[in-house]
Amino acid sequence: MRTPVKKLVTAVSTSIALLGAGHAAAEIQIGIAGPMTGPVAQYGDMQFSGARMAIEQINANGGVNGEKLVGVEYDDVCDPKQAVTVANSLVNDGVRFVIGHLCSSSTQPASDIYEDEGILMVTPASTSPEITERGYELVFRTIGLDSMQGPVAGNYIASLNPKRVAIVHDKQQYGEGIATAVRDTLKGQGVEIAMFEGITAGDKDFSSLVTKLKQADVDYVYYGGYHPELGLILRQARQADLNATFMGPEGVGNKDINTIAGEAAEGLLVTLPPSFDQKAENQKLVSAFEAKGEDPSGPFVLTSYAAVQLIAEGIEKADSTDPFDVAQALRSNSFQTPIGTVEYDKAGDMKAFEFVVYEWHSDGSKTPVK
Amino acid sequence: MQDLLYFFQQLINGLTIGSAYALIAIGYTMVYGIIGMINFAHGEIYMIGAYTALIAITGLATLGIAWLPVILIVALICAMIVSSTMGWAVERVAYRPVRGRHRLIPLISAIGMSIFLQNYVHLAQGSRNIGFPALIDGGFQFGSADSFQMSLSYMQITIFITTLICMTLLSLFISRSRTGRACRAVSQDIGMANLLGIDTNRIISATFVIGAALAAVAGLLLGMYYGSIDPLFGFIAGLKAFTAAVLGGIGSIPGAMLGGLILGVSESMTSGYLSGEYKDVVSFGLLILILLFKPTGLLGKPEVEKI
Amino acid sequence: MAANTLKHALFCAVVTLVIAYPILGLNLEAEGINVTLAGADTSTVISVIAAAIVVFLFQLFRENILSALKSIPSPLPKTQKEPMAENKRARIESWVLTGIVILALFWPFFVSRGSVDLATLVLIYIMLALGLNVVVGLAGLLDLGYVAFYAVGAYTFALLSQYAGVSFWVALPIGACLAALFGFTLGFPVLRLRGDYLAIVTLGFGEIIRILLNNWTALTGGPNGVGGIPDPTLFGMEFGRRVKEEGNVSFHETFGIAYSGEHKVIFLYLIALVLAVFTALVIRRFMRMPVGRSWEALREDEIAARSLGLSRTAVKLSAFTIGAFFAGFAGTVFASKQGFISPESFVFLESAIILAIVVLGGMGSQIGVVLAAIAVTILPELAREFSEYRMLIFGAAMVLMMIWRPQGLMPVRRIHIPLRKQE
Repeated sequence: MRTPVKKLVTAVSTSIALLGAGHAAAEIQIGIAGPMTGPVAQYGDMQFSGARMAIEQINANGGVNGEKLVGVEYDDVCDPKQAVTVANSLVNDGVRFVIGHLCSSSTQPASDIYEDEGILMVTPASTSPEITERGYELVFRTIGLDSMQGPVAGNYIASLNPKRVAIVHDKQQYGEGIATAVRDTLKGQGVEIAMFEGITAGDKDFSSLVTKLKQADVDYVYYGGYHPELGLILRQARQADLNATFMGPEGVGNKDINTIAGEAAEGLLVTLPPSFDQKAENQKLVSAFEAKGEDPSGPFVLTSYAAVQLIAEGIEKADSTDPFDVAQALRSNSFQTPIGTVEYDKAGDMKAFEFVVYEWHSDGSKTPVK
Repeated sequence: MQDLLYFFQQLINGLTIGSAYALIAIGYTMVYGIIGMINFAHGEIYMIGAYTALIAITGLATLGIAWLPVILIVALICAMIVSSTMGWAVERVAYRPVRGRHRLIPLISAIGMSIFLQNYVHLAQGSRNIGFPALIDGGFQFGSADSFQMSLSYMQITIFITTLICMTLLSLFISRSRTGRACRAVSQDIGMANLLGIDTNRIISATFVIGAALAAVAGLLLGMYYGSIDPLFGFIAGLKAFTAAVLGGIGSIPGAMLGGLILGVSESMTSGYLSGEYKDVVSFGLLILILLFKPTGLLGKPEVEKI
Repeated sequence: MAANTLKHALFCAVVTLVIAYPILGLNLEAEGINVTLAGADTSTVISVIAAAIVVFLFQLFRENILSALKSIPSPLPKTQKEPMAENKRARIESWVLTGIVILALFWPFFVSRGSVDLATLVLIYIMLALGLNVVVGLAGLLDLGYVAFYAVGAYTFALLSQYAGVSFWVALPIGACLAALFGFTLGFPVLRLRGDYLAIVTLGFGEIIRILLNNWTALTGGPNGVGGIPDPTLFGMEFGRRVKEEGNVSFHETFGIAYSGEHKVIFLYLIALVLAVFTALVIRRFMRMPVGRSWEALREDEIAARSLGLSRTAVKLSAFTIGAFFAGFAGTVFASKQGFISPESFVFLESAIILAIVVLGGMGSQIGVVLAAIAVTILPELAREFSEYRMLIFGAAMVLMMIWRPQGLMPVRRIHIPLRKQE
């Protein structure tokens, strides 16, 4: 019977400690887990920037039920193994709410741990459908799914009457997932798919792939994955004189692709969440970001902001910091956030989310196509 | 005709990468030939060369200098200086103090140095992939426009020619110059070379320096060819180049060249005809096969086992 | 002489500047779509210059500094000390070790969950290092691809549980045996190879396994890894909050205590502890048996061993197989602990770390290896504030240890009888 006694002792001593600590007790820890370093760190930057701004602003408005939010940041380098380590650390640190992770392949294994340990997770960027397909109670998203994004891309390509389309992916959950979704959409539209191949993320030499694409005589190439590889493929494709239009998901829509691909990035098609920073009702928020020297136009900035806001409002509506109660509150209410009105279905996905097709330019700007 | 062009295209791709591997492999093979040690940190020297080249290029761009030959030459010289110095320093700090002991010790020291250098650059420059400007653009196209066209880019030609020049210079150096002769002597019998009055320490340092300089050349070339660099890519390239060196016979410079080309072409062909995913498996498989039947590599000198 | 030292010192200082300033002082930054060069902040530049000055001074006064350092007594056991009588030493060692094991059994109930988690990781590395110790330390075979067997053990459990719902206890022996089989298979091609060629081939083998795991997505999930690996059960009782398998009951419900994440962590730790002790004991037995003696004979002088009739094939294969077997144990425990594995966990760096542990501990010495495993795993955790510099310090530490104390923390003392001087 050691355990109950130990728990009692812990409870008493913690209470004493808390009483003594004073204001330190009235704090809610919000974990933020994403890539701070590594090849896709700039997406992590968006996540941290949005989440930090939200925490700041909510605290400035009095916090949540009088309690201040404290952001606890963790680096998962977009690596599944590191994500598991981060999740374990979060559990050890007693954090009960997490904004994260960013990469689908990190979010998936981490969410197993969070669900088991009763930690609420809201991912602002992971689009793989599998994450919400497992009947977990505590997993939410503030971004659309590949099953929505894929058809948008596929239908767009189909509407351009292509001769042949090649689909390449990086074999990771996110990349392969969306590539598969695009392939299925294209097949459904009767478009000829010349090849469906995987490359290894981290590779630098795509000359053989480019040669293969040339031989396959395709006019469109869909790439499922992140910008470091697509940037190289674009550049090497241009050098080899491959005449095809490339298209990718939001993981490639990033200014860094211009530093790698240069001129070759002109004309790249990208599906992205709509530009929330262009909406009139968000202008005040946009100015707040710009005052801090941060760029609010990245696809995950405002989704992260919304995620923190949702947790905060969920706690208020549920009037409790128990993650299960908050989850319940999130499912039964409608919220107004910078990314629009958010309502959740049973699985933890938002009921509505659109993706827009943009054309990327060699100066890093993008214009919506129609 | 189309298939033939496709084959040649993959062959060209393979020879290009192969040349770059050869440049890096020489560093491994020279060091092994002289002190019998696998320099695991060599891949990192290559990476540092690439970073320095990019820093130089960016610096020149900010200064407003736009003439291509100047940019390339300055970048090359800067990269070679920094890499060579780094190679020299690594030898003095991590290898010389442990020379001659049980062979695992320098190996661990080398691995430790490799980890240290990777993280050094990672901390200093960040871990993201940084784009390398495409300074040499364009190329030749063969074949008709409505079917498969084989392309030979200027960059690829540059890589071939540069590798050829480097190899020729190195061979001349080794066979004609005094230091080159001393290198050969030291690799044959270090004790005897010492007795004959050759300063073996200096020769060993020279070997590291030369290997590092060649790796820097490869760094600049491949950075321009591929398009991006990050702190971890040196390790993989180093591993491949090392495989190439062993394939060709470690300790033999022509072996490194041959090994590099074979490895490059086999990777390219696997990628082009089978699947890009297993090209590394084929490379290592090839290595194991060759070592099974010719344990000292293709052009390696057979090791005489003295009892 | 002084002029030479001065020139040398100046040269070294210049070298330091060359290798430090460009990389540290000029930062490449991506601004918008361009890459620009930013000078680093003043403190970095100052530290670079300071480093150059330190190097200059060090080289200038090297003789004096080094002799001053030599006169400081070293706290570690010297290699030439007269060994205690074998019996006495063995008995003291057994008592000490038993004491440590008993302590380790009761310790987890008093500390935080994070520490127990870390301790499990330490135990996994101990198993790995003890296994590699057999191959590298005892048999003298340079194996750089040991991580492949670790991966085989982990993936066996992961895949068996994913496709066949196999539990931890069933997968443990299967994983270990499969890893041993791989060890046996690796042994054949490398029979005739010596020294560095052996190292390269084992390295290639390790990489091949990792690449296969990474690319065979249909079977192994590729880069996304395999998740949902179950924790070990205790007579059918699961340790999770909710029961995952039908027919099992949950631990906390059976005993009527509140659910705590600590239960499964402590249970896994205890299992790892039992396995690690088992590994150590078995290998110790092997060391005393002819098999173990033949490993050491092979290491010392292969030609002599062969002339004495030892079959090179049998000795090498036995070393690889047994070493791999324990890696399989470690892999299974690792898979269960993480709940999710991916090829990223089995890169060459892992092999290098395990090898470093073996060399650090003193090749062939079991206690040294255990101590080194603890040091290598725990020290980075203690220096959490420096987490960015962790790997940097690790690399530097590896180099320094090799320079300063290459025989390891606790070098094996050979049993020997000192020859008496002739009168």
